[in-house]
Amino acid sequence: MSADRKVRLTFDGQDITVTVGTSLIQAWIESGRPLVDNVGCMGQGVCGACRVLVRRSGSGTVETALACETPVEDGMQIASVDYFPAHRPHRYDLHAEVEVESAAAKPIDRIFPEAAHCRHCGGCDRACPRDIEVERMVNLAATGEAREAAALFDHCVMCNLCVAACPEDIDPAHLGQFVRRMAAATTTLPVDLDQRLQEIQTGHQPIRRPPSPGRHES
Amino acid sequence: MKVLTHTSARTPDLAAWLAAGGGEGLQHALTETAAIIPALADAGLRGMGGAGFPAATKWQAVADADADEKWILCNGNEDEPGTFKDHFLLTQTPHQVIEGALIAALATGATGIVVYANPHAGGTISGLEDAVEQWRRHPLFDRVRAHLDQPFELTVQLSSGLYVGGEETGAIAAVNGGFPFPREKPPWPAQDGIHGQPTLVNNVETLALATHVLRHGADWFRQLGNTAPGTKLFSLSGDILRPGLHELPMGTSLRALIEDHGGGMLAGTPFKAVFTGGPSNTLLTASDLDVALDFDSLRARGSRLGTGAMIVVGAGTSIVRKTAEYVTFFADSSCGQCPPCKIGTHQVARILQRIDQGWGQPDDLEALDNLVELLLGSGRCGLVDGAATVLASSLRAFRTEYEQAIGNANRLP
Amino acid sequence: MTAMGVDHATALRSWSARAPAPPATGDLPPAELVRHFHPDHQADHQSELRVGACAGMRCPSGLADLLQANAHIDDVDLAGIRNLHADVLVLGGGAAGVVAALTAARDGAAVMLATKLRLGDGNTVMAEGGIQAAVGADDSLQQHFDDTLAGGHATADPELVAALVSDGPAAIRWLMAEGMAFDQQNDQGDGASTLRRLRPGGTTVARLLSYRDFTGLEMMRALREAVLLQPGVEVRERYAALELLTDPHGRCVGAVLLDLERERLVQVRAGAVILATGGAGRTHLGGNATSNHYGATADGLVLAYRVGACLREIDSFQYHPTGLAWPRHLRGLLITEAVRALGARLVNGDGARFIDELAPRDVVAAAILREIDAGRGVERDGLTGVLLDTPTLERERPGVLQNHLITLVRLARKAGIDPASEPLLIAPTLHYQNGGVAVDTNGQSSIPGLLCAGEIAGGIHGRNRLMGNALLETVVYGRRAGKAAVTTMRNPSGRAVGITHLGDWQRGLIHAGLPLDRRAPVLFPAYGHADIERRIHARRKSAL
Repeated sequence: MSADRKVRLTFDGQDITVTVGTSLIQAWIESGRPLVDNVGCMGQGVCGACRVLVRRSGSGTVETALACETPVEDGMQIASVDYFPAHRPHRYDLHAEVEVESAAAKPIDRIFPEAAHCRHCGGCDRACPRDIEVERMVNLAATGEAREAAALFDHCVMCNLCVAACPEDIDPAHLGQFVRRMAAATTTLPVDLDQRLQEIQTGHQPIRRPPSPGRHES
Repeated sequence: MKVLTHTSARTPDLAAWLAAGGGEGLQHALTETAAIIPALADAGLRGMGGAGFPAATKWQAVADADADEKWILCNGNEDEPGTFKDHFLLTQTPHQVIEGALIAALATGATGIVVYANPHAGGTISGLEDAVEQWRRHPLFDRVRAHLDQPFELTVQLSSGLYVGGEETGAIAAVNGGFPFPREKPPWPAQDGIHGQPTLVNNVETLALATHVLRHGADWFRQLGNTAPGTKLFSLSGDILRPGLHELPMGTSLRALIEDHGGGMLAGTPFKAVFTGGPSNTLLTASDLDVALDFDSLRARGSRLGTGAMIVVGAGTSIVRKTAEYVTFFADSSCGQCPPCKIGTHQVARILQRIDQGWGQPDDLEALDNLVELLLGSGRCGLVDGAATVLASSLRAFRTEYEQAIGNANRLP
Repeated sequence: MTAMGVDHATALRSWSARAPAPPATGDLPPAELVRHFHPDHQADHQSELRVGACAGMRCPSGLADLLQANAHIDDVDLAGIRNLHADVLVLGGGAAGVVAALTAARDGAAVMLATKLRLGDGNTVMAEGGIQAAVGADDSLQQHFDDTLAGGHATADPELVAALVSDGPAAIRWLMAEGMAFDQQNDQGDGASTLRRLRPGGTTVARLLSYRDFTGLEMMRALREAVLLQPGVEVRERYAALELLTDPHGRCVGAVLLDLERERLVQVRAGAVILATGGAGRTHLGGNATSNHYGATADGLVLAYRVGACLREIDSFQYHPTGLAWPRHLRGLLITEAVRALGARLVNGDGARFIDELAPRDVVAAAILREIDAGRGVERDGLTGVLLDTPTLERERPGVLQNHLITLVRLARKAGIDPASEPLLIAPTLHYQNGGVAVDTNGQSSIPGLLCAGEIAGGIHGRNRLMGNALLETVVYGRRAGKAAVTTMRNPSGRAVGITHLGDWQRGLIHAGLPLDRRAPVLFPAYGHADIERRIHARRKSAL
């Protein structure tokens, strides 16, 4: 490993020099700058907190990325992106929706009416750091194919970049969670779980405590 | 010298327009078709949609193209804050615009004209439809069609009303039946436009001026201006006593515009800056008051004439808040295709709003400088560049205002 | 433990030559292994607490420094700050906090949920393997109870464990109703399904329910939506808890929060406070790498201890056996135990196995540290560990990586490794706080008005937590604490509310010869350069 090779980059206007082979967020930390937001799982790539815009040296294109999983490159220019909530929260009561679930009363039309007005700009797809087919998910959901839509959104880490990127205020991340939650909440209770719950209810799952609860001293 | 705003032009009645000398330009164009483009070149007519590109060059590119169809798209989308000249032209003086389009059709050998208008500019549409219908029924129209010797149509099309629909490739996408998404250039509209065919996209002010160039000649047009040919419609607004549309010689100084024609600063407040339309250009400041307002003089100063909108800001108006307002406009107007544009402008807007609301941090200025550099050139149209440019300019020229807004947030020194 | 290991290239050759290596259980009994090699038992790792309700108790030195630190603020800092109110104040935005907030709100309380980062930022979202619940026909609450007690080395509170396992199946149903998906299989013939179960280390039966290998993410996604949509819950992100508020009777009546966005203090008066602030991994006890989220800095533990709450098993921390050991910037990140539950093996620098991979975590971690100590570890670029044999697993179960271990694959790729062809270098990583604030079966601490849920609570896992019981704990005790908070809350208005408990606290520090200028909670790890003091006092009106 070329442990001594240094690269230079600019992060939110701060010039940083750091050893190659590390991630953008580690570079920020190594520079000694304060890190008190837009940070989370530190490389596992599951929390979506460390959103950035990245421009590579000599390139005209700017991409979205998660800083904890993006390796440093010489000449990179980076800007952090805040967490953008939806312009208008899309409210629903999941339990109530599950109770009245029927093909006729398509909840998506009521709760996410903007989804029918997708302009097919593809911005959400390009913004997603997980390469999810966000636009396709939105279109499937809008036409009532909720389960197919839910399956597409499996790897979402709730970074909300698609929410920031959508010019129609569709709020794709939350639409994706809505269809996923509906799919999960309307699944029939697994028989083993059902059985066990009944047993507990009828007192057929007693727990015998040990005779003397030993507590070891530290 | 009133040309576009002359009372004779302000009529919905084609017959009245023709009786007052309208139609002469078209007659000259019919008589000497080959002289149309040279006349425009001689006159030095530039595009009035914002870019200031030489009209003759654009017209020639379409004229030279070999295709089954050729189109003229009269761009009246005008959605920029502070620009209201196209609205005036289409609602008050439709005939000089349409006549200019017909002249362009002759020069280029077009098969169709689309008058592309913003439906939000209230009152435009029925008046336009009526104006177009009057032309269609007029013998002059038949002469044009006969001269072209091919199928020829003149129609009105409503735009989506969105800002991006004013970008020439966005306008073409809309006329083609889709969402007005701008696209990469090349290919240029002259190669690939409406129906994939060569298309001339010109702002309605440009076409209206072409009518007068053909009517009175290139020399006449050149002498109307001070430092550059012709007249210009300046949309004047802001902290000014007499906002409104002012037709003045090209190259009128900013000082003259404000003091002689605009009635001076509102309530005598000191001059601070001007956002030129827009507003996507470098601000003009007190040191620019004696600059000639023409395309080349402003470019030499590092700014742009743009649409000729001049949004005047006095000492009582906050540059921070104005910049936040305009960047937010760009963020909301972004079409969505390019995440750096949509997300980047929203991120800038968010930082500006935080500063405006008293929660700014000193680091925010460095973050904004960084975003300017990062975002420039990152989109497939000029929207993000406009936002970045106006932001950069305000940071450069009024950095102390930003620092004060941050410092005002009740901190220990 | 600084013996040189086998260099990486040599170790790979040995591995390749011997794979699949035959099983081994090691020559030391598990208790010995743990006693000699587990970090908890290293001589210089622990010190004795000298102040507070648990004076005399052993505690890792770094944690003791935090628990025995002074507060950030004085009474004068409360003058003129904004006063907010809530029936129930929940501190912490992971699963436990969110579940508690949902429960309390649905029982009619006006809830405020404050979190120093964002909702959902915490260790929950990083949990991979799954959640335990005794649903199998071959399983029972009794077995779950016995496994948990045994796994914790018989030191847990049996009543807390009984509550945990009894509520397990109901917790799963609750999660499903909130929209969380679980892996299931259609194996009942008539289209009906059962839950897919794995056997985690230390259990007698397959009991681990999951969604892919990102159960925590799936859970947190659904719960986050639920709490954002829940009427009656006000979420305040970027609000960090600096101090609890007490009344003259010692009841906890709210908290002082630092608004990190606007750099100002606010005071929240509450009928009850639920601490759900998670763990302590980012204090890097003993200088160890951690799997934890950036914000896991023991904040709630510090706050609870300062108002007099009792702690237990606070010297006991779980080191997850398989944290990534290389490359440096990814050190500590978790490789799910599911990979071992699915059959992957651990081999040392000689290519030999050395432990039952499904033994309890502390045993496996100690075994790995023993190999390293004995010079049989694998060394690469100055970092030491042992090898996790994913290639053999993939060979034996083609497709298992892509289908069931996608998070592992992604992490390996970030390290530049294809796990199907090359083993990963792993080493134990500071993972979980086994002990914590002592609570009853309702999450009630020894301080009236103060409840705890999630990792911060102690007594459930004894001295070693089983995989899958942490996610279960967040839901079971989140619900119990949420419910109990509503039934026990008391409106604090009209009572003197403040931080007078600091008087006695500081006297205690002085008597014990401890410094007053060391402050806690630290909110962020040291390398975050957060400069909390400056942020707290940024808006103090200059005293003229």
